[in-house]
Amino acid sequence: MKLLTHNMLTSHVKGVTKGYPLLIKATEVKVNEVDFNPKFVCRMIPKLEWSALVQAADQLGHREDLPGELVPDYEKNEDFLKKVHRVLLEVEVIEGCLQCPESGREFPISRGIPNMLVNEDEA
Amino acid sequence: MMEEAASQLERDHVHSVYDKIAPYFNDSRYKAWPKVRQFLLDLPPGSIVADIGCGNGKYLHINKEVFKLGCDVCRPLVDFAWSQGHEVQMCDGLRLPYRDGCFDAVLSIAVIHHFSTKERRIRAIKEMARTLRVGGRIMIYVWAMEQKRRKFEKQDIFVPWNPNPHLSSSFNRDDTKPRRRAAAQSVSEAIDNAENYRKVRSTSSVADEEDATQAVPQQRTQRLWFFSRSLDSVFDFGSLAISWPSSRDLRHLPSATGENEGNKPNQRARGRGLIKQVSSFFSPPSVIGSEEDVFDSDTDLQKDRNDPGGPSNPTNNNGKENQGVSVSLAQECGSLALPDLISLQQENLRQSEDQSAGGPVGTGRQEGTQSPEEQVEASCLRYYHVFREGELAELIEHHVEELHVTHNYFDHANWCVVAEKVQLWKI
Repeated sequence: MKLLTHNMLTSHVKGVTKGYPLLIKATEVKVNEVDFNPKFVCRMIPKLEWSALVQAADQLGHREDLPGELVPDYEKNEDFLKKVHRVLLEVEVIEGCLQCPESGREFPISRGIPNMLVNEDEA
Repeated sequence: MMEEAASQLERDHVHSVYDKIAPYFNDSRYKAWPKVRQFLLDLPPGSIVADIGCGNGKYLHINKEVFKLGCDVCRPLVDFAWSQGHEVQMCDGLRLPYRDGCFDAVLSIAVIHHFSTKERRIRAIKEMARTLRVGGRIMIYVWAMEQKRRKFEKQDIFVPWNPNPHLSSSFNRDDTKPRRRAAAQSVSEAIDNAENYRKVRSTSSVADEEDATQAVPQQRTQRLWFFSRSLDSVFDFGSLAISWPSSRDLRHLPSATGENEGNKPNQRARGRGLIKQVSSFFSPPSVIGSEEDVFDSDTDLQKDRNDPGGPSNPTNNNGKENQGVSVSLAQECGSLALPDLISLQQENLRQSEDQSAGGPVGTGRQEGTQSPEEQVEASCLRYYHVFREGELAELIEHHVEELHVTHNYFDHANWCVVAEKVQLWKI
Protein backbone atom coordinates (compact mmCIF):
# COMPACT_ATOMS: atom_id res chain seq x y z
CA MET A 1 0.00 0.00 0.00
CA LYS A 2 1.45 3.34 -1.03
CA LEU A 3 0.78 6.50 0.87
CA LEU A 4 -1.07 8.00 -2.07
CA THR A 5 -3.57 5.18 -1.69
CA HIS A 6 -3.65 5.59 2.07
CA ASN A 7 -4.62 9.20 1.56
CA MET A 8 -7.89 8.05 0.00
CA LEU A 9 -8.71 5.31 2.48
CA THR A 10 -11.13 5.73 5.30
CA SER A 11 -12.78 3.61 7.94
CA HIS A 12 -16.40 2.79 7.20
CA VAL A 13 -17.22 0.97 10.39
CA LYS A 14 -20.82 1.49 11.39
CA GLY A 15 -21.50 4.62 13.38
CA VAL A 16 -18.07 6.10 12.85
CA THR A 17 -18.08 9.72 11.78
CA LYS A 18 -14.40 10.42 11.92
CA GLY A 19 -12.85 7.43 10.23
CA TYR A 20 -10.17 9.41 8.46
CA PRO A 21 -7.27 9.31 8.33
CA LEU A 22 -6.51 5.73 9.25
CA LEU A 23 -3.57 5.26 11.56
CA ILE A 24 -0.82 3.12 10.11
CA LYS A 25 0.93 0.47 12.11
CA ALA A 26 3.49 -1.05 9.83
CA THR A 27 5.63 -4.08 10.49
CA GLU A 28 7.18 -4.18 7.05
CA VAL A 29 7.87 -1.19 4.85
CA LYS A 30 9.64 -1.10 1.52
CA VAL A 31 11.05 1.78 -0.42
CA ASN A 32 11.05 1.32 -4.18
CA GLU A 33 12.44 3.42 -6.94
CA VAL A 34 9.73 4.95 -9.04
CA ASP A 35 10.26 7.21 -12.02
CA PHE A 36 9.89 10.82 -11.03
CA ASN A 37 7.22 12.64 -12.99
CA PRO A 38 7.02 16.21 -11.66
CA LYS A 39 3.86 17.07 -13.55
CA PHE A 40 2.12 14.03 -12.16
CA VAL A 41 3.11 14.88 -8.61
CA CYS A 42 2.07 18.47 -9.12
CA ARG A 43 -1.39 17.46 -10.18
CA MET A 44 -1.77 15.03 -7.30
CA ILE A 45 -1.02 17.55 -4.60
CA PRO A 46 -4.33 19.46 -4.72
CA LYS A 47 -6.17 16.16 -4.43
CA LEU A 48 -4.46 15.18 -1.22
CA GLU A 49 -5.37 15.75 2.36
CA TRP A 50 -1.94 17.19 3.11
CA SER A 51 -1.92 16.77 6.86
CA ALA A 52 -3.00 13.14 6.55
CA LEU A 53 -0.05 12.53 4.24
CA VAL A 54 2.41 14.10 6.63
CA GLN A 55 0.99 12.19 9.57
CA ALA A 56 1.19 8.91 7.65
CA ALA A 57 4.77 9.53 6.56
CA ASP A 58 5.58 10.34 10.14
CA GLN A 59 4.03 7.13 11.43
CA LEU A 60 6.25 5.20 9.08
CA GLY A 61 9.33 7.08 10.06
CA HIS A 62 9.69 8.34 6.53
CA ARG A 63 8.64 11.90 6.90
CA GLU A 64 12.16 13.28 6.70
CA ASP A 65 11.81 16.98 6.10
CA LEU A 66 8.41 17.05 4.51
CA PRO A 67 6.79 20.31 5.63
CA GLY A 68 3.65 20.28 7.75
CA GLU A 69 2.02 22.71 5.38
CA LEU A 70 2.11 23.02 1.65
CA VAL A 71 4.77 25.40 0.43
CA PRO A 72 3.54 28.17 -1.83
CA ASP A 73 4.51 27.89 -5.50
CA TYR A 74 5.36 24.26 -5.16
CA GLU A 75 4.80 23.73 -8.89
CA LYS A 76 8.25 25.04 -9.66
CA ASN A 77 9.96 23.66 -6.62
CA GLU A 78 11.53 20.48 -7.90
CA ASP A 79 13.15 19.71 -4.62
CA PHE A 80 9.85 19.79 -2.85
CA LEU A 81 8.16 17.77 -5.58
CA LYS A 82 10.80 15.08 -5.26
CA LYS A 83 10.13 14.78 -1.56
CA VAL A 84 6.44 14.48 -2.20
CA HIS A 85 7.07 11.93 -4.93
CA ARG A 86 9.08 9.82 -2.56
CA VAL A 87 6.53 9.79 0.14
CA LEU A 88 3.53 9.31 -2.12
CA LEU A 89 4.83 6.66 -4.47
CA GLU A 90 8.06 5.12 -3.26
CA VAL A 91 7.30 4.24 0.32
CA GLU A 92 5.15 1.15 0.55
CA VAL A 93 3.61 -0.70 3.47
CA ILE A 94 3.82 -4.45 2.90
CA GLU A 95 2.67 -5.78 6.27
CA GLY A 96 0.87 -4.14 9.13
CA CYS A 97 -2.54 -2.70 9.71
CA LEU A 98 -4.67 0.39 9.38
CA GLN A 99 -6.52 1.51 12.45
CA CYS A 100 -9.78 3.41 12.57
CA PRO A 101 -9.07 6.54 14.62
CA GLU A 102 -12.51 6.49 16.17
CA SER A 103 -13.42 2.86 16.78
CA GLY A 104 -9.96 1.36 17.00
CA ARG A 105 -10.95 -1.37 14.56
CA GLU A 106 -7.92 -2.68 12.70
CA PHE A 107 -7.80 -3.48 9.02
CA PRO A 108 -4.91 -5.79 8.18
CA ILE A 109 -2.42 -5.13 5.41
CA SER A 110 -0.82 -8.25 4.11
CA ARG A 111 1.31 -8.78 1.03
CA GLY A 112 0.85 -5.10 0.30
CA ILE A 113 -2.93 -5.34 0.22
CA PRO A 114 -5.17 -3.67 2.80
CA ASN A 115 -8.20 -5.74 3.64
CA MET A 116 -11.00 -3.26 4.18
CA LEU A 117 -13.80 -5.80 4.36
CA VAL A 118 -16.03 -5.41 7.37
CA ASN A 119 -18.28 -8.01 8.85
CA GLU A 120 -22.02 -7.69 8.33
CA ASP A 121 -22.59 -6.52 11.86
CA GLU A 122 -20.00 -3.82 11.68
CA ALA A 123 -21.35 -1.82 8.83
CA MET B 1 -34.52 -11.02 5.98
CA MET B 2 -33.99 -10.22 2.33
CA GLU B 3 -30.72 -8.51 2.92
CA GLU B 4 -29.18 -11.55 4.55
CA ALA B 5 -30.51 -13.86 1.90
CA ALA B 6 -29.24 -11.59 -0.86
CA SER B 7 -25.87 -11.41 0.74
CA GLN B 8 -25.75 -15.16 1.26
CA LEU B 9 -26.63 -15.74 -2.37
CA GLU B 10 -23.80 -13.48 -3.44
CA ARG B 11 -21.38 -15.21 -1.10
CA ASP B 12 -22.29 -18.61 -2.48
CA HIS B 13 -22.73 -17.74 -6.13
CA VAL B 14 -20.40 -14.90 -6.75
CA HIS B 15 -17.65 -14.60 -4.18
CA SER B 16 -16.89 -18.23 -3.61
CA VAL B 17 -17.13 -19.06 -7.28
CA TYR B 18 -14.64 -16.36 -8.21
CA ASP B 19 -12.37 -17.61 -5.45
CA LYS B 20 -12.41 -21.02 -7.07
CA ILE B 21 -12.10 -19.95 -10.66
CA ALA B 22 -9.61 -17.14 -10.07
CA PRO B 23 -6.66 -19.15 -11.38
CA TYR B 24 -8.43 -19.58 -14.69
CA PHE B 25 -9.32 -15.95 -14.88
CA ASN B 26 -5.86 -14.68 -15.08
CA ASP B 27 -5.33 -15.75 -18.60
CA SER B 28 -8.76 -14.78 -19.75
CA ARG B 29 -9.20 -11.34 -18.39
CA TYR B 30 -6.25 -9.64 -19.98
CA LYS B 31 -8.35 -8.10 -22.66
CA ALA B 32 -9.68 -4.61 -22.11
CA TRP B 33 -12.86 -3.54 -23.83
CA PRO B 34 -11.76 -0.83 -26.26
CA LYS B 35 -14.28 1.74 -25.09
CA VAL B 36 -13.20 1.26 -21.51
CA ARG B 37 -9.62 1.65 -22.55
CA GLN B 38 -10.53 4.85 -24.35
CA PHE B 39 -12.35 6.18 -21.34
CA LEU B 40 -9.17 5.72 -19.33
CA LEU B 41 -6.93 7.19 -21.99
CA ASP B 42 -9.14 10.26 -22.22
CA LEU B 43 -8.63 11.15 -18.57
CA PRO B 44 -6.53 14.24 -17.93
CA PRO B 45 -3.00 13.48 -16.65
CA GLY B 46 -2.84 13.42 -12.88
CA SER B 47 -6.35 12.00 -12.49
CA ILE B 48 -7.13 9.46 -9.81
CA VAL B 49 -9.23 6.51 -11.00
CA ALA B 50 -10.74 3.64 -9.08
CA ASP B 51 -11.63 0.32 -10.67
CA ILE B 52 -14.32 -1.04 -8.36
CA GLY B 53 -14.43 -4.79 -8.82
CA CYS B 54 -11.11 -4.81 -10.62
CA GLY B 55 -10.73 -8.58 -10.71
CA ASN B 56 -7.20 -9.40 -11.77
CA GLY B 57 -6.54 -5.78 -12.59
CA LYS B 58 -6.72 -5.87 -16.34
CA TYR B 59 -7.56 -2.19 -16.62
CA LEU B 60 -5.03 -0.99 -14.11
CA HIS B 61 -2.10 -0.76 -16.46
CA ILE B 62 -3.80 1.58 -18.93
CA ASN B 63 -2.63 5.22 -19.01
CA LYS B 64 0.52 5.87 -17.07
CA GLU B 65 -0.39 9.52 -16.53
CA VAL B 66 -3.15 8.73 -14.10
CA PHE B 67 -3.09 7.13 -10.68
CA LYS B 68 -5.18 3.97 -10.59
CA LEU B 69 -6.30 1.84 -7.75
CA GLY B 70 -8.47 -1.21 -7.76
CA CYS B 71 -10.50 -3.21 -5.32
CA ASP B 72 -12.36 -6.48 -5.25
CA VAL B 73 -13.75 -9.05 -2.83
CA CYS B 74 -11.85 -11.87 -4.41
CA ARG B 75 -8.50 -12.34 -2.71
CA PRO B 76 -6.80 -14.50 -5.35
CA LEU B 77 -7.65 -12.03 -8.09
CA VAL B 78 -6.52 -9.08 -6.01
CA ASP B 79 -3.27 -10.87 -5.21
CA PHE B 80 -2.67 -11.34 -8.87
CA ALA B 81 -3.32 -7.68 -9.60
CA TRP B 82 -0.85 -6.74 -6.91
CA SER B 83 1.75 -9.02 -8.40
CA GLN B 84 1.43 -6.96 -11.56
CA GLY B 85 2.44 -3.89 -9.61
CA HIS B 86 -0.97 -2.35 -9.02
CA GLU B 87 -2.37 -0.65 -5.93
CA VAL B 88 -5.28 -2.79 -4.87
CA GLN B 89 -7.44 -3.40 -1.82
CA MET B 90 -9.94 -5.91 -0.63
CA CYS B 91 -13.34 -4.44 -0.10
CA ASP B 92 -17.03 -4.77 -0.74
CA GLY B 93 -18.87 -2.71 -3.33
CA LEU B 94 -21.58 -1.78 -0.86
CA ARG B 95 -19.13 -0.32 1.62
CA LEU B 96 -16.28 1.39 -0.19
CA PRO B 97 -13.42 2.42 2.07
CA TYR B 98 -12.71 5.65 0.27
CA ARG B 99 -13.41 9.17 1.38
CA ASP B 100 -16.07 11.26 -0.32
CA GLY B 101 -15.24 12.84 -3.64
CA CYS B 102 -11.66 11.60 -3.87
CA PHE B 103 -11.78 10.10 -7.35
CA ASP B 104 -11.80 11.80 -10.72
CA ALA B 105 -13.18 8.70 -12.36
CA VAL B 106 -14.59 5.32 -11.44
CA LEU B 107 -14.94 2.10 -13.41
CA SER B 108 -17.49 -0.60 -12.74
CA ILE B 109 -16.97 -3.16 -15.47
CA ALA B 110 -19.08 -6.29 -15.26
CA VAL B 111 -19.62 -6.02 -11.54
CA ILE B 112 -23.00 -4.78 -10.45
CA HIS B 113 -24.80 -7.49 -12.36
CA HIS B 114 -23.65 -9.76 -9.55
CA PHE B 115 -25.71 -7.96 -6.94
CA SER B 116 -28.81 -9.93 -6.36
CA THR B 117 -31.38 -7.25 -5.61
CA LYS B 118 -32.26 -3.95 -7.19
CA GLU B 119 -31.73 -2.22 -3.91
CA ARG B 120 -28.18 -3.52 -3.61
CA ARG B 121 -27.41 -2.54 -7.16
CA ILE B 122 -28.59 0.97 -6.40
CA ARG B 123 -26.54 1.09 -3.23
CA ALA B 124 -23.46 -0.03 -5.12
CA ILE B 125 -23.92 2.75 -7.65
CA LYS B 126 -24.54 5.31 -4.92
CA GLU B 127 -21.40 4.24 -3.11
CA MET B 128 -19.35 4.75 -6.22
CA ALA B 129 -21.01 8.11 -6.83
CA ARG B 130 -20.11 9.11 -3.28
CA THR B 131 -16.43 8.59 -3.95
CA LEU B 132 -16.52 10.60 -7.18
CA ARG B 133 -15.76 14.27 -7.11
CA VAL B 134 -18.26 16.66 -8.64
CA GLY B 135 -17.58 16.65 -12.37
CA GLY B 136 -16.01 13.22 -12.14
CA ARG B 137 -17.23 10.42 -14.41
CA ILE B 138 -18.21 6.84 -13.94
CA MET B 139 -18.38 4.11 -16.55
CA ILE B 140 -20.57 1.09 -15.80
CA TYR B 141 -20.76 -2.09 -17.87
CA VAL B 142 -23.27 -4.85 -17.16
CA TRP B 143 -24.35 -7.95 -19.04
CA ALA B 144 -27.27 -7.36 -21.32
CA MET B 145 -30.34 -9.50 -21.36
CA GLU B 146 -30.59 -8.88 -25.06
CA GLN B 147 -27.71 -10.57 -26.80
CA LYS B 148 -27.37 -10.25 -30.56
CA ARG B 149 -29.39 -13.24 -31.53
CA ARG B 150 -30.77 -14.42 -28.32
CA LYS B 151 -32.33 -13.00 -25.28
CA PHE B 152 -31.95 -14.54 -21.89
CA GLU B 153 -35.30 -15.88 -20.82
CA LYS B 154 -35.17 -14.20 -17.47
CA GLN B 155 -33.11 -11.54 -15.86
CA ASP B 156 -31.99 -13.41 -12.78
CA ILE B 157 -29.90 -16.31 -13.79
CA PHE B 158 -27.21 -18.71 -12.77
CA VAL B 159 -24.44 -19.38 -15.22
CA PRO B 160 -22.50 -22.57 -14.65
CA TRP B 161 -18.78 -22.59 -14.68
CA ASN B 162 -17.49 -25.52 -16.55
CA PRO B 163 -13.77 -25.90 -16.11
CA ASN B 164 -13.41 -28.86 -18.35
CA PRO B 165 -15.40 -28.90 -21.52
CA HIS B 166 -13.24 -31.60 -23.09
CA LEU B 167 -12.48 -30.18 -26.41
CA SER B 168 -9.74 -32.10 -27.98
CA SER B 169 -8.68 -30.07 -30.94
CA SER B 170 -6.80 -26.89 -31.13
CA PHE B 171 -7.07 -24.02 -33.48
CA ASN B 172 -4.42 -23.28 -35.97
CA ARG B 173 -4.92 -19.70 -36.77
CA ASP B 174 -2.37 -17.07 -37.22
CA ASP B 175 -2.68 -14.32 -34.81
CA THR B 176 -0.56 -11.30 -35.26
CA LYS B 177 -1.94 -9.37 -32.37
CA PRO B 178 0.64 -8.19 -29.91
CA ARG B 179 1.05 -10.07 -26.68
CA ARG B 180 0.17 -8.41 -23.50
CA ARG B 181 2.92 -8.11 -20.98
CA ALA B 182 3.49 -11.42 -19.32
CA ALA B 183 2.02 -12.30 -16.01
CA ALA B 184 4.32 -12.76 -13.09
CA GLN B 185 2.45 -15.45 -11.30
CA SER B 186 2.51 -19.07 -12.08
CA VAL B 187 -1.16 -19.14 -11.32
CA SER B 188 -2.21 -19.86 -14.83
CA GLU B 189 -0.11 -22.23 -16.81
CA ALA B 190 -1.96 -21.29 -19.94
CA ILE B 191 -0.09 -18.02 -19.98
CA ASP B 192 3.13 -19.91 -20.49
CA ASN B 193 1.72 -21.32 -23.60
CA ALA B 194 2.06 -18.39 -25.93
CA GLU B 195 0.12 -19.99 -28.67
CA ASN B 196 -2.96 -20.62 -26.62
CA TYR B 197 -2.59 -17.14 -25.29
CA ARG B 198 -2.80 -15.66 -28.73
CA LYS B 199 -5.71 -17.88 -29.55
CA VAL B 200 -7.54 -16.73 -26.52
CA ARG B 201 -7.01 -13.19 -27.64
CA SER B 202 -8.34 -13.90 -31.02
CA THR B 203 -11.42 -15.67 -29.88
CA SER B 204 -12.36 -12.89 -27.60
CA SER B 205 -11.32 -10.00 -29.74
CA VAL B 206 -13.63 -7.33 -30.93
CA ALA B 207 -14.15 -8.07 -34.57
CA ASP B 208 -14.38 -11.73 -34.17
CA GLU B 209 -16.98 -12.89 -36.57
CA GLU B 210 -14.54 -13.64 -39.27
CA ASP B 211 -12.38 -15.63 -36.93
CA ALA B 212 -15.12 -18.08 -36.28
CA THR B 213 -15.50 -18.80 -39.92
CA GLN B 214 -11.86 -19.43 -40.43
CA ALA B 215 -11.82 -22.35 -38.10
CA VAL B 216 -11.64 -25.81 -39.54
CA PRO B 217 -15.20 -27.10 -39.71
CA GLN B 218 -14.81 -29.93 -37.32
CA GLN B 219 -13.03 -27.81 -34.80
CA ARG B 220 -15.56 -25.13 -35.24
CA THR B 221 -18.31 -27.53 -34.50
CA GLN B 222 -16.67 -28.66 -31.35
CA ARG B 223 -16.21 -25.10 -30.37
CA LEU B 224 -19.79 -24.43 -31.23
CA TRP B 225 -20.87 -27.27 -29.15
CA PHE B 226 -19.08 -25.83 -26.22
CA PHE B 227 -20.50 -22.37 -26.66
CA SER B 228 -24.02 -23.34 -27.39
CA ARG B 229 -23.94 -25.70 -24.52
CA SER B 230 -22.67 -23.03 -22.23
CA LEU B 231 -25.31 -20.56 -23.15
CA ASP B 232 -27.99 -23.18 -23.01
CA SER B 233 -26.75 -24.08 -19.64
CA VAL B 234 -27.70 -20.70 -18.41
CA PHE B 235 -29.90 -21.60 -15.63
CA ASP B 236 -33.28 -20.10 -16.18
CA PHE B 237 -35.03 -19.37 -12.96
CA GLY B 238 -38.34 -19.04 -14.66
CA SER B 239 -38.29 -22.45 -16.18
CA LEU B 240 -37.93 -23.96 -12.76
CA ALA B 241 -40.63 -21.85 -11.28
CA ILE B 242 -38.17 -20.48 -8.86
CA SER B 243 -37.58 -16.83 -9.03
CA TRP B 244 -35.34 -15.03 -6.70
CA PRO B 245 -36.16 -13.35 -4.45
CA SER B 246 -39.85 -13.84 -4.90
CA SER B 247 -41.32 -15.50 -1.90
CA ARG B 248 -43.88 -17.31 -3.98
CA ASP B 249 -41.56 -20.19 -4.63
CA LEU B 250 -39.83 -20.28 -1.35
CA ARG B 251 -42.45 -22.76 -0.38
CA HIS B 252 -40.32 -25.26 -2.26
CA LEU B 253 -37.53 -24.63 0.12
CA PRO B 254 -37.13 -25.50 3.75
CA SER B 255 -39.66 -23.51 5.65
CA ALA B 256 -39.18 -19.89 4.89
CA THR B 257 -41.20 -18.04 7.38
CA GLY B 258 -40.77 -14.79 5.54
CA GLU B 259 -39.13 -11.77 7.03
CA ASN B 260 -36.93 -12.18 9.98
CA GLU B 261 -35.15 -15.42 9.82
CA GLY B 262 -32.50 -13.94 11.98
CA ASN B 263 -31.12 -17.36 12.48
CA LYS B 264 -28.11 -18.08 10.37
CA PRO B 265 -28.58 -21.83 9.97
CA ASN B 266 -32.01 -21.13 8.58
CA GLN B 267 -30.59 -18.81 6.02
CA ARG B 268 -28.09 -21.35 4.96
CA ALA B 269 -30.73 -24.00 4.78
CA ARG B 270 -32.78 -21.81 2.55
CA GLY B 271 -29.80 -21.18 0.38
CA ARG B 272 -29.01 -24.84 0.23
CA GLY B 273 -32.56 -25.64 -0.57
CA LEU B 274 -32.35 -23.38 -3.56
CA ILE B 275 -29.15 -25.02 -4.59
CA LYS B 276 -30.66 -28.45 -4.26
CA GLN B 277 -33.46 -27.37 -6.51
CA VAL B 278 -30.93 -26.02 -8.92
CA SER B 279 -28.70 -29.03 -8.82
CA SER B 280 -31.45 -31.54 -9.21
CA PHE B 281 -31.73 -30.34 -12.74
CA PHE B 282 -28.24 -31.46 -13.49
CA SER B 283 -28.83 -35.10 -13.53
CA PRO B 284 -26.07 -37.37 -12.33
CA PRO B 285 -23.79 -38.01 -14.68
CA SER B 286 -20.84 -38.98 -16.04
CA VAL B 287 -21.71 -38.04 -19.51
CA ILE B 288 -21.66 -34.62 -20.93
CA GLY B 289 -25.03 -35.23 -22.43
CA SER B 290 -26.61 -35.05 -19.03
CA GLU B 291 -26.69 -31.32 -18.93
CA GLU B 292 -28.76 -31.20 -22.03
CA ASP B 293 -31.60 -32.64 -20.06
CA VAL B 294 -31.91 -29.31 -18.36
CA PHE B 295 -32.93 -27.48 -21.43
CA ASP B 296 -36.46 -26.53 -22.12
CA SER B 297 -37.89 -27.06 -25.52
CA ASP B 298 -38.75 -23.43 -25.60
CA THR B 299 -35.20 -22.18 -25.59
CA ASP B 300 -34.49 -20.78 -28.95
CA LEU B 301 -31.42 -22.91 -29.39
CA GLN B 302 -31.42 -26.47 -30.41
CA LYS B 303 -29.85 -28.81 -27.97
CA ASP B 304 -26.85 -30.70 -29.04
CA ARG B 305 -27.95 -34.25 -28.94
CA ASN B 306 -24.52 -35.63 -28.80
CA ASP B 307 -24.15 -39.23 -27.95
CA PRO B 308 -22.43 -39.86 -24.66
CA GLY B 309 -19.23 -40.28 -26.48
CA GLY B 310 -19.01 -36.58 -26.18
CA PRO B 311 -16.84 -34.35 -28.26
CA SER B 312 -15.11 -37.13 -30.00
CA ASN B 313 -18.27 -37.51 -32.04
CA PRO B 314 -19.21 -33.96 -32.19
CA THR B 315 -21.42 -33.57 -35.14
CA ASN B 316 -22.82 -36.90 -36.02
CA ASN B 317 -26.09 -36.57 -34.30
CA ASN B 318 -26.75 -32.98 -35.05
CA GLY B 319 -29.33 -32.10 -37.53
CA LYS B 320 -28.39 -29.51 -40.03
CA GLU B 321 -30.65 -27.15 -38.30
CA ASN B 322 -28.77 -27.58 -35.09
CA GLN B 323 -25.58 -26.78 -36.75
CA GLY B 324 -27.07 -23.80 -38.40
CA VAL B 325 -28.22 -22.36 -35.15
CA SER B 326 -25.02 -23.31 -33.43
CA VAL B 327 -22.93 -21.69 -36.06
CA SER B 328 -24.63 -18.39 -35.71
CA LEU B 329 -24.44 -18.66 -31.98
CA ALA B 330 -20.74 -19.28 -31.98
CA GLN B 331 -20.15 -16.40 -34.29
CA GLU B 332 -21.94 -14.29 -31.81
CA CYS B 333 -20.10 -15.94 -28.99
CA GLY B 334 -16.86 -14.74 -30.39
CA SER B 335 -17.98 -11.25 -29.71
CA LEU B 336 -19.89 -11.95 -26.55
CA ALA B 337 -18.73 -10.84 -23.20
CA LEU B 338 -17.87 -14.35 -22.15
CA PRO B 339 -14.13 -14.20 -22.00
CA ASP B 340 -14.08 -16.52 -19.04
CA LEU B 341 -15.82 -19.32 -20.88
CA ILE B 342 -13.68 -18.81 -23.92
CA SER B 343 -10.47 -18.96 -22.06
CA LEU B 344 -11.50 -21.98 -20.11
CA GLN B 345 -11.95 -23.70 -23.37
CA GLN B 346 -8.40 -22.83 -24.30
CA GLU B 347 -7.12 -23.81 -20.92
CA ASN B 348 -8.67 -27.18 -21.36
CA LEU B 349 -7.53 -27.57 -24.90
CA ARG B 350 -4.10 -27.43 -23.52
CA GLN B 351 -4.96 -29.73 -20.70
CA SER B 352 -6.61 -32.25 -22.89
CA GLU B 353 -3.70 -32.19 -25.22
CA ASP B 354 -1.48 -33.02 -22.32
CA GLN B 355 -3.69 -35.72 -20.99
CA SER B 356 -4.06 -39.07 -22.59
CA ALA B 357 -6.53 -39.15 -25.39
CA GLY B 358 -8.54 -41.75 -23.65
CA GLY B 359 -9.37 -39.54 -20.75
CA PRO B 360 -12.83 -39.88 -19.30
CA VAL B 361 -15.43 -38.11 -21.25
CA GLY B 362 -17.97 -35.89 -19.70
CA THR B 363 -16.69 -35.94 -16.24
CA GLY B 364 -16.24 -32.32 -17.17
CA ARG B 365 -16.20 -31.22 -13.56
CA GLN B 366 -13.59 -29.58 -11.50
CA GLU B 367 -10.55 -31.68 -11.31
CA GLY B 368 -9.96 -33.69 -8.21
CA THR B 369 -13.37 -33.17 -6.82
CA GLN B 370 -14.85 -35.96 -4.88
CA SER B 371 -18.24 -34.47 -4.25
CA PRO B 372 -21.26 -35.62 -6.15
CA GLU B 373 -21.36 -33.92 -9.46
CA GLU B 374 -24.59 -32.16 -8.75
CA GLN B 375 -23.02 -30.36 -5.88
CA VAL B 376 -20.02 -29.32 -7.87
CA GLU B 377 -22.15 -27.99 -10.66
CA ALA B 378 -24.30 -26.10 -8.24
CA SER B 379 -21.33 -24.70 -6.42
CA CYS B 380 -19.90 -23.23 -9.58
CA LEU B 381 -22.99 -21.39 -10.63
CA ARG B 382 -22.47 -17.68 -10.88
CA TYR B 383 -25.40 -15.47 -10.20
CA TYR B 384 -26.16 -12.68 -12.67
CA HIS B 385 -28.88 -10.16 -13.00
CA VAL B 386 -28.78 -9.35 -16.70
CA PHE B 387 -30.05 -5.92 -17.62
CA ARG B 388 -32.77 -4.98 -20.04
CA GLU B 389 -32.24 -2.16 -22.46
CA GLY B 390 -32.54 1.12 -20.62
CA GLU B 391 -32.66 -0.49 -17.20
CA LEU B 392 -29.28 0.70 -16.03
CA ALA B 393 -29.85 4.27 -17.16
CA GLU B 394 -33.28 4.26 -15.55
CA LEU B 395 -31.87 2.95 -12.33
CA ILE B 396 -29.49 5.87 -12.18
CA GLU B 397 -31.98 8.47 -13.34
CA HIS B 398 -34.58 7.46 -10.78
CA HIS B 399 -32.48 6.46 -7.82
CA VAL B 400 -29.10 8.16 -8.01
CA GLU B 401 -29.77 11.84 -8.41
CA GLU B 402 -26.14 12.75 -7.86
CA LEU B 403 -25.30 11.11 -11.19
CA HIS B 404 -26.31 12.43 -14.57
CA VAL B 405 -26.22 9.95 -17.45
CA THR B 406 -24.24 11.26 -20.42
CA HIS B 407 -23.81 8.13 -22.54
CA ASN B 408 -25.87 5.02 -22.87
CA TYR B 409 -24.97 2.29 -25.35
CA PHE B 410 -24.64 -1.38 -26.14
CA ASP B 411 -21.17 -2.83 -26.42
CA HIS B 412 -20.43 -6.46 -27.07
CA ALA B 413 -23.27 -7.92 -25.08
CA ASN B 414 -23.09 -5.32 -22.37
CA TRP B 415 -25.23 -2.33 -21.56
CA CYS B 416 -22.99 0.58 -20.80
CA VAL B 417 -23.55 3.87 -19.14
CA VAL B 418 -21.28 6.80 -18.57
CA ALA B 419 -22.47 9.29 -15.99
CA GLU B 420 -21.17 12.45 -14.41
CA LYS B 421 -21.31 13.38 -10.75
CA VAL B 422 -23.32 16.51 -10.23
CA GLN B 423 -23.62 18.86 -7.34
CA LEU B 424 -26.95 18.48 -5.63
CA TRP B 425 -28.56 21.54 -4.22
CA LYS B 426 -31.00 20.91 -1.44
CA ILE B 427 -33.31 23.73 -0.60
